[in-house]
Amino acid sequence: MSENIDQYLKSEYSAGWITDIESLTIPPGLNEDVIRLISAKKQEPEWMLEWRLKAYRAWLEMKEPEWAHVVYPKPDFQALSYYSSPKSMEDGPQSLDEVDPELLRTYEKLGIPVHEQEVLAGVAVDMVFDSVSVGTTFRQKLKDAGVIFCPISEAVHEYPELVKKYLGSVVPQKDNFYAALNSAVFSDGSFVYIPKGVRCPMELSTYFRINEAKTGQFERTLIIADEGSQVSYLEGCTAPMRDENQLHAAVVELVALDDADIKYSTVQNWYPGDAEGKGGIYNFVTKRGIAHTRSKISWTQVETGSAVTWKYPSCILKGDDSIGEFYSVALTSNHQQADTGTKMIHLGKNTRSTIIAKGISAKQSSNSYRGLVKMNPGAEGARNYTQCDSLLIGDKCGAHTFPYIESKNPTAVIEHEATTSKVSDDQLFLCQQRGIDAEKAVSMIVNGFCKDVFRELPMEFAVEAGKLLEVSLEGAVG
Amino acid sequence: MSDPMQAEQAHQGLQAQSDWGWLKDWRASAWSQFAATPWPTRKTEAWKYTPLKSMLDTEWSLAEQPGTGTGTVFEDWDRTVITLVDGKVADHDALPEGVTVRLLSKATPEQRAQFEDRLSKTLAGDQLFTTFNQALLAEAVWIDVAPETVLEKPLHINQVLSSSANGRAVPVRLMLDLGGRSQMTLVETFSSESDGPVFINPVTEIEVGDSAKLTHYHLLLETGDVRHLGSVQAVLRAHSQMNSFHMALGGVLKRKDIVVRHCGSGAHLQLNGVYLPKGKEHVDYHTTLEHEVPHGTSNEVFRGIIGDEAKAVFNGRIHIHKDAQKTLAELSNKNLLTSHKAEINTKPELEIYADDVKCAHGATVAQLDKGSMFYFLSRGISRQEAEVMMSFGFINELLETLDDEPVKQLLRPMLAALFAKEDELARHLV
Amino acid sequence: MLNINDLHARVEDTAILHGLNLEVKPGEVHAIMGPNGAGKSTLGNVLAGRPGYEVTGGTVTYKGSDLLELEAEDRARAGVFLAFQYPVEIPGVSNMEFLKASVDAIRTARGEEAMSSMDFIKLAREKCKAVDLPQDFLKRGVNEGFSGGEKKRNELLQMMLLEPSLCILDETDSGLDIDALQVVARGVNALRSPDRGIIVVTHYQRLLDYIVPDYVHVLAKGRIVKSGGRELALELEKHGYSWIDEEVA
Repeated sequence: MSENIDQYLKSEYSAGWITDIESLTIPPGLNEDVIRLISAKKQEPEWMLEWRLKAYRAWLEMKEPEWAHVVYPKPDFQALSYYSSPKSMEDGPQSLDEVDPELLRTYEKLGIPVHEQEVLAGVAVDMVFDSVSVGTTFRQKLKDAGVIFCPISEAVHEYPELVKKYLGSVVPQKDNFYAALNSAVFSDGSFVYIPKGVRCPMELSTYFRINEAKTGQFERTLIIADEGSQVSYLEGCTAPMRDENQLHAAVVELVALDDADIKYSTVQNWYPGDAEGKGGIYNFVTKRGIAHTRSKISWTQVETGSAVTWKYPSCILKGDDSIGEFYSVALTSNHQQADTGTKMIHLGKNTRSTIIAKGISAKQSSNSYRGLVKMNPGAEGARNYTQCDSLLIGDKCGAHTFPYIESKNPTAVIEHEATTSKVSDDQLFLCQQRGIDAEKAVSMIVNGFCKDVFRELPMEFAVEAGKLLEVSLEGAVG
Repeated sequence: MSDPMQAEQAHQGLQAQSDWGWLKDWRASAWSQFAATPWPTRKTEAWKYTPLKSMLDTEWSLAEQPGTGTGTVFEDWDRTVITLVDGKVADHDALPEGVTVRLLSKATPEQRAQFEDRLSKTLAGDQLFTTFNQALLAEAVWIDVAPETVLEKPLHINQVLSSSANGRAVPVRLMLDLGGRSQMTLVETFSSESDGPVFINPVTEIEVGDSAKLTHYHLLLETGDVRHLGSVQAVLRAHSQMNSFHMALGGVLKRKDIVVRHCGSGAHLQLNGVYLPKGKEHVDYHTTLEHEVPHGTSNEVFRGIIGDEAKAVFNGRIHIHKDAQKTLAELSNKNLLTSHKAEINTKPELEIYADDVKCAHGATVAQLDKGSMFYFLSRGISRQEAEVMMSFGFINELLETLDDEPVKQLLRPMLAALFAKEDELARHLV
Repeated sequence: MLNINDLHARVEDTAILHGLNLEVKPGEVHAIMGPNGAGKSTLGNVLAGRPGYEVTGGTVTYKGSDLLELEAEDRARAGVFLAFQYPVEIPGVSNMEFLKASVDAIRTARGEEAMSSMDFIKLAREKCKAVDLPQDFLKRGVNEGFSGGEKKRNELLQMMLLEPSLCILDETDSGLDIDALQVVARGVNALRSPDRGIIVVTHYQRLLDYIVPDYVHVLAKGRIVKSGGRELALELEKHGYSWIDEEVA
């Protein structure tokens, strides 16, 4: 048995430990006072509080969506805590040097470069721990280029005009149940602004960690790429192994102004629950970008974690000649359920979109692609190409495809294809006959299946993504 | 739901008729189910793209005396015809050997028990207008073909709405039991001579026995103010074959739910269809293939051309159950939009719970191919004529696969006339 | 008959023809040869009016009037025929329907009466025989499932039926075996006449063993760089195209 396999046979969910740190967590429950408390903790201006309350009141009127192909006990929103912060962060923003070393060790242990001097590639990191950002690297270097990269709670104070203008402009407060909840209680997240014509000098990334028990994480990310600018942003997520389900309801808004280019990559590795389906994160996320004239928004995601995933990173192709892309690998194993895909809303002329979605289902999991391609009457000459492939490993899992295609323009061209396949006994036998054991063979086949998506990931993420798949598939073949 | 379609009176009127006592409970349960179902809105997944607003503008009543009508005529095709006018059997040819027909309205006490056993047996799942059909059903034609019968002549169920059917709801049911190793062709045509509004609500239940072979046509040829909401539901037994062709022309609103269940292994289904709404027409095909057992194969091809301000909906679901290993299922849906006000909504769905299967679907929405257009032009053919010929060809490609020449002969001129605004442009077709 | 003067053309954003000159008189057969990418197919497509091929300069006079002014279908009706390098498949439209529509359109443009269906079927069958295509090809979808050779013969069949004044054969020999090549050549030769011009575009001189041209032109980098008689083709056969590049450079 090769060393390689040895390594991953031992491995389980490797990010499942708990940081032993004193936290200030507000008591469970949700009402207007809780929202006021969150807002007060962040010393927010009045308009921000009003914005939250408006969202909260809308949320009270809304119903949890039920159309997704997932089954789970509805979270008890009054049993969750909506704010938790390491005690050492209570005194407000600090420089990276003053951050509690225990917190930084959390990120180091996860393989996140936290000290600027030891960083290999130029990646700036914002570290979000439960409800707060604990530090952001390379702020000065970015500032020199005119790039703003900071916690959103800080942006509310420092750049209120930008926040006011764009927050909720892509995902309105009432967009959907979880977006409304997020708008009411969001605690932290990243804010990015790339000025006109600037090519962001390094990759930006945010690393989300849920640590505290019985808390929800509600981060909010807002990225604005001004005219002719360019940015690549990475997002990573992990959480400890806990027996109860935890809620993660994020909102990400991207604004690509004329000729801008935003690349948004995610490697989502929230705790998926154990082999019996106990515990794990509920990941209910709204991600959407608006693309103005000749701009481009590209989403790439590798989803291996979470007990339940509900997520559709989308593009509103508003400007003529704008481009939307969605590259996705979603892997489910054990009792995981994923309902994920994208929406491409073509409004402008000659808009183009590409969707490449790869779903891998193993064990008792359920994996659905759900997508919408919509050509509005104004989408003259627009084009979409969609390819959805499912790979089934074992006969107890489910793989589903629900593509919605709507066209109101006769000059628009839409092509959709979907296939399913399995890891065949013949393929396995061939590999085994050549001395490759079954698990390695499966991982090779899966990697090959996903290569169209991995190709889109920044280098360091691609390697991580490949390893993640191996770990997640452990024991998938008997 | 109360009674948005204003049909309760019709239901109660039917229930009050003394000779129908034996079916009362069956209908009443359907009515309470129908009435308890929330009226579909845009948020109701099965009706997301098909508003039922137009069903609410009429107080629907049941026809008391059927009118008269001819229906669909095939030239030079020796067939056994059963004509139903406004949902009532008006005329029928002598039945070939091996075929028995029972009518719900004339059921003997012995047959009543058989009907009670058979009605709705092949249905899977709840469909709003199948429930409606049950609540208001006054006629069903039940055809039984004995095992090992090979019918030379096709059986033609010729449904026509008469000119006196305005304001009528016409629920009607056809049941076919094709015995083991039997072979036949079933032709269902629907036409209308009514000015409308008229609402036809047919349910076809088919069971194809072991190793039997059925060729099936289900042609919605009504035009004008016709609302056609109905379903075709079939069960395939082991090693049987069903080749089913659907077509929808015209009509204010047409919605057909087609459900085919593979209940015996080794069966094969070919399911093809075309929809051609124009003007302000609306056509909706919802198809579901239930692969419940191993070794089944299905191939489904639907095509549509949507013109003017028309709308079309296609929803093609393939459901592979847990035990249905070694299934092969494919679906293709292609659409052409020919106007800036036309609209298509298509959703091919796969729901798969078995791993050793091969499934694929593809859907496209496009204009006529530019390369082909140039080929026509470069041969001196005008753009208008080329458009007609290419549209025709796009649909005719499916007609070409039909076994029965008379069906092609009937449909080809209809297609040509549909695409050519002037006859001149269709002169090289047909 | 055809006079091409300083023709410049591009496909999408790429300029392909850079000042091409060519004159074809009735009764002449011109062969246009050249390396891949020289613009050979572009010439045929520009003359036939394929969308996406944009003329950026120069003139083309055909029978005394401006060819470039005409729509694609009007060029065909005026007698310009392009035998496609890659004939298009049109499933669902039978070859017979297509041919009849084409013949009628062109006859009408010439002021002739449309043919009766019976006469047309007879004629089509006869021409099928001439190009060695079985008659059931008339009933099949246009080029649908035809082999490469069958598609080319179908192009020739159309050419025979339409009796154009100017025939442009765009690499009609590509992908043909020697037997099919002879069939095609026989057909083209049968069409040679004092009032018809023929342009044969080809990469290989092989075809010219069977269709003997009056003139041979070498097309390179979007221009005709050398013209001569039949012997030029043989020279190209012997030395390849590289010496042309050297000479041009």
